[in-house]
Amino acid sequence: MTDRREAWLFLVPGLALLVLGFVLPILRMLVLSVLGPDGLTLQQFARFFQDGYYPSILWRTVRMSLVITAITAAIGFPLAYITSRVGPRLRLWLIVMVILPLMTSVVVRTFGWMVLLGRSGPLATTLRDMGLVGRSFSLMHTEAAIVLGMVQVLLPFMVLSMLGVLSRLDPRLEEAARTMGCSFLQTIRRVVLPLAMPGVVAGSLLVFTLSASSFITPSLLGGARIEVLAGSIYKSVTQTLDWNFAAAQSVILFLGLALVLIPYLRLGARHG
Amino acid sequence: MVKAVPTWLRWLAWIFVILAALLLLAPLVVVVGVSVSESQFIAFPPNGFSLKWYGNALGSREYVEAFWLSLRLAALVTLSATLIGGAAAIALSRRRGGQALETFFLSPLVIPSIIFAIGMLMLWSSLFGVTSFLALWIAHTVVALPYVLRTTLAVLAESDPFLEEAARTMGASWPRRLWHVVLPQCRPGLAAGAFFAFNISFDEAVLSLFLRNPGLNTLPVQIYGQLEFSPDPTVAAVSTMMIVLTVTLIVLLDRLLGLNRVAST
Repeated sequence: MTDRREAWLFLVPGLALLVLGFVLPILRMLVLSVLGPDGLTLQQFARFFQDGYYPSILWRTVRMSLVITAITAAIGFPLAYITSRVGPRLRLWLIVMVILPLMTSVVVRTFGWMVLLGRSGPLATTLRDMGLVGRSFSLMHTEAAIVLGMVQVLLPFMVLSMLGVLSRLDPRLEEAARTMGCSFLQTIRRVVLPLAMPGVVAGSLLVFTLSASSFITPSLLGGARIEVLAGSIYKSVTQTLDWNFAAAQSVILFLGLALVLIPYLRLGARHG
Repeated sequence: MVKAVPTWLRWLAWIFVILAALLLLAPLVVVVGVSVSESQFIAFPPNGFSLKWYGNALGSREYVEAFWLSLRLAALVTLSATLIGGAAAIALSRRRGGQALETFFLSPLVIPSIIFAIGMLMLWSSLFGVTSFLALWIAHTVVALPYVLRTTLAVLAESDPFLEEAARTMGASWPRRLWHVVLPQCRPGLAAGAFFAFNISFDEAVLSLFLRNPGLNTLPVQIYGQLEFSPDPTVAAVSTMMIVLTVTLIVLLDRLLGLNRVAST
């Protein structure tokens, strides 16, 4: 039947692109991580865990990603809920407010934070005028700067993940809860939040993955002293030119994320 | 009224929305502000008003070359991702049990781009040596593909499969069915996917940073390099032009397809 052949014909370019242009590169990376001058070796991994430096980078990456994910979820949920429940005009504006930063390059947004947080930026100047901080005060090159910048970069992903689920919730469920005596906040906690859980979990996983693997915002806002894993990978590739070590670090990042993602994906598969 | 929300909570919600808007939009506003400042130092609020940094940016060979490279790349990625992704979406929408394949096609969304970027760099170097425009084109197409696939699949899921069935019983060959029935059904999905593909490629920095070489700097890479070195008002002017392009894309997206619809898929 032509239908079958047609279906394959349409799939082949995409499959070829993904196998040759996506799977193969990742395999190559995996191979390089265990390849030494004389055959297979785990030396690069041993090097990572040898002294305290790289584990501390890994720990910082995990810790900051968790904080960023938690803050993003805490801001994202009310924002997504409000967006899903307001009238169409306001809803459109709220969506623009979320999509405009999302569709702007990360590089540009990080630049904005560099200006905001810098020594002559509005935040530092205001605090200085109020006499709260010294002359040389700057928020740049702190973990707080990275967290703030990353929350802004990743908030749209969280809001959109939640918005999809929240818009599909039947508002009559909330009305039913209210008529049966729940207060507004009780309704949110006992009806909306449990039903929105798939969106909350999906958004959180996405944000966690993205924040653990980004280096542009962390390296520009955190500077050289506050290194994260992805930044260290970039440095190994471009500065020390140690590709095998870069590959090993990528594998560690990859495995770490798989550890978080796979239980969820299996859970999702079971629930259909 | 059971729908009523307490008044104090309404106020709180408004304050919250304003603060969220501030958080989301402040970095963009600040960049625009710096770009029109007269001072040659980065300062916000801006001192005076001047468009000289725009002249500077447009007169800079690096920025102009990077812009053309990014534009060419984004245009080609839009074309390739829309064609390949659209075809795959049409094929996937007819298969039963295409779930595993669909997951595979969407996997570039899940795998962090830094991992893909480093793999791409390593594979390309071992096969062909120095990275080239083609490497960037392939890499960007891979990451843009899932967006086209998702928007097109979403549209096809809502469309009526019997339309094509009807065309077939009336004797239309598959190229004709494709052209007159299936493609028109896909059009909104393909268009939204194309917008995203363009936007992703034009703004993408991770893959472009890993695959860059002295003759291959996209606009975001050029901006990143400047920010690492020393931010100046010229880079703010370039960034502002990128923001303006994004705003244009969003307005077009809304006019052509409706943002409300695009955001909920």
